[in-house]
Amino acid sequence: MTASGEPVVRVDHLTKRYAGDLRTSLRYALRDIGRELVPHRSPGAARPGEFAALDDVSFELRPGEALAVVGPNGAGKSTLLKVLYGLVKPDGGEARIRGRVGALIELGTGFDEVLTGRENIAVNAAILGLSEDELATATEDVLAFAELEDAADMPVRYYSSGMRARLAFAVAAHLRPDVLLVDEVLAVGDFAFQRKCFRHMQRFLDGGGALLLVSHNVFLVQTLCTRGMLLECGVCTFAGTAVDTVARYLAVRQPRPAAGGALAAADGTAPVTVEGISAARPGGGPPATGEPLTVTVRYRCAAPVEAAWGFTIWTGDHWVCVAGDHDLRPRRLEREGELRATIPRLPLLAGTYVLRAVVVDPETLLPFALYGHGDEAPAVVEITTPPGVHHNALTAMQQLVTIDVDWD
Amino acid sequence: MAADETVYSAEPLLRSPERFAAAARADLRVVPRSAWRMWVRRLQARHRASRLGYAWLPVPALALALTWVYLDHVRVVRFGDTGIPYLAYVLSGVVLWQVFAEGLQAPLRALGDARHMLTKARLPHEAWLASAALDVALNLLVRLAVLVVVLVAAGTSLRAAIVLAPLGMVALLVLGFAIGLALTPVGLLYEDVGQALTVVAGFWFFLTPVVYPWPADLAGDSLIALNPVTPLVVTTRAWLTGAPGAEPAQLAGVGAGAVVLLVAGWLVYRLARPHLVARL
Repeated sequence: MTASGEPVVRVDHLTKRYAGDLRTSLRYALRDIGRELVPHRSPGAARPGEFAALDDVSFELRPGEALAVVGPNGAGKSTLLKVLYGLVKPDGGEARIRGRVGALIELGTGFDEVLTGRENIAVNAAILGLSEDELATATEDVLAFAELEDAADMPVRYYSSGMRARLAFAVAAHLRPDVLLVDEVLAVGDFAFQRKCFRHMQRFLDGGGALLLVSHNVFLVQTLCTRGMLLECGVCTFAGTAVDTVARYLAVRQPRPAAGGALAAADGTAPVTVEGISAARPGGGPPATGEPLTVTVRYRCAAPVEAAWGFTIWTGDHWVCVAGDHDLRPRRLEREGELRATIPRLPLLAGTYVLRAVVVDPETLLPFALYGHGDEAPAVVEITTPPGVHHNALTAMQQLVTIDVDWD
Repeated sequence: MAADETVYSAEPLLRSPERFAAAARADLRVVPRSAWRMWVRRLQARHRASRLGYAWLPVPALALALTWVYLDHVRVVRFGDTGIPYLAYVLSGVVLWQVFAEGLQAPLRALGDARHMLTKARLPHEAWLASAALDVALNLLVRLAVLVVVLVAAGTSLRAAIVLAPLGMVALLVLGFAIGLALTPVGLLYEDVGQALTVVAGFWFFLTPVVYPWPADLAGDSLIALNPVTPLVVTTRAWLTGAPGAEPAQLAGVGAGAVVLLVAGWLVYRLARPHLVARL
């Protein structure tokens, strides 16, 4: 393990540029190669037609730390990983990395298709400098983790995408790296394996490893990472805690509600299925402004499971989330049943709203089930407001919620 | 800099030659094992879907040689006295030429086929290059076995000089591979190089005394005489079959030049690698 406290990754004013036009890019490649042959020449400035995929990015990563890199598509996240993994060369600044680096640049890729799973493990181990003894142990660990013992001697070209994903994560994570670079690790794979990856990364961090995680999954980022960095158009526009970074990311992204699909088990079945969501006044009658409202979610589980849940209320056009809440305390869900929550005083004004629900794994915050975010239609709720001059004025202004105000 | 620290910067890699050399050494250490595994598996995979498997390896050389024998026999072409039976002459020439021609195309083909991996995995590219070289060497060995059988059947007596033939074959492989590797950085960027190599190889074949006798009555500065493959093919064939025209000194000179070109091409490729990966 690297000495505690000293950064294992030190990135200083890192810049990487690409040309948008292919012909220009190839021409610049020849020039860059030519420049390598003249050692005394300094790196040049941006050339016509180039854009910065990474622009003056700096950060440090210490043992035991997990840094989340978030940002929209094309922000430079994967480029950052490729530079840190030594696949491409920066055009400015530098990156210093201590120790072995394991990386998942794109999950399930980077294997030689004709080699078997076992042979691909051996080749990767050779690159990382593992001895034969270490390789023997690591191979069994990787295969066991990836649950691929039976397919170990099958060429990778015959693997399913899930098998490749499992092998890729297992190889990157088990060949004893000091620094792990991970790009969208939980984008594929079944629920059980995603959970296994999550726990492995936690153990890796506890053991003094350093993790750089690129993910669109805001739940994973907040649960696993202590620090975060927001990249936009190659520029680090925010750095702070993971939670603050996600908040900033969501603010600039104007997110759609779904943060990745719901988890599925190895056989493709969801651990939890939300069958419906409804809202009604506890005492009966239509939902009304200022009255209590009970939200009810009907669910079905493949097997009893610990879960947390929440709901959100959206405008009728499905675009604006007006309100909502989550209770992240774990609760046991039986094979089928209902979850209920009551809003003591509904602040919404008259109109048509839609209800969406999410049931999550309380450990990872990854969604077990999403309702109303995908193909299934969210529940529609018509809210009425008692007639009156005051309420009519607010409704006429298309105000969505009422607030309690103490007037002087 | 700490011993286990890796630095990626914008500076030319040769600005720090010791770091460049250390990285090259580290990669070379893992190449033999990786390349061997890749090569064995690729070989098995390639022949798994074939009924005749390895039997296909000598077929191109035999077919080409028999074509020229037929053309000679029906007097479409007359090359005069080759000093040994024409079949032995042309088959040995074709086998040797193919070592060079396959070596020429191997680096670009191997790395071009692996481009999807080169952008995502940090396997040393030398592993693919070495695996491709092993492929050429295997093809040579199989064809050589067939050639020896044909030579014996054609009544050519095997001579002591045959033990020198591997030197010439290695020189042919190194020369072809070195030229191919030198062109690979540009070839991975522009498809023109791959296309041009195919055309040039066809033209080059006729500029090399593969199917016609050597020494021919040509001026010393003819393209055939200036062709670096000529002394390699002629001398190696002489060692193999007793055909006339051996030029061991020229072979040694070209061989040494090929080794220098190979090392230079490899170093340039290593310098070019991150810029290539960024554009693949």
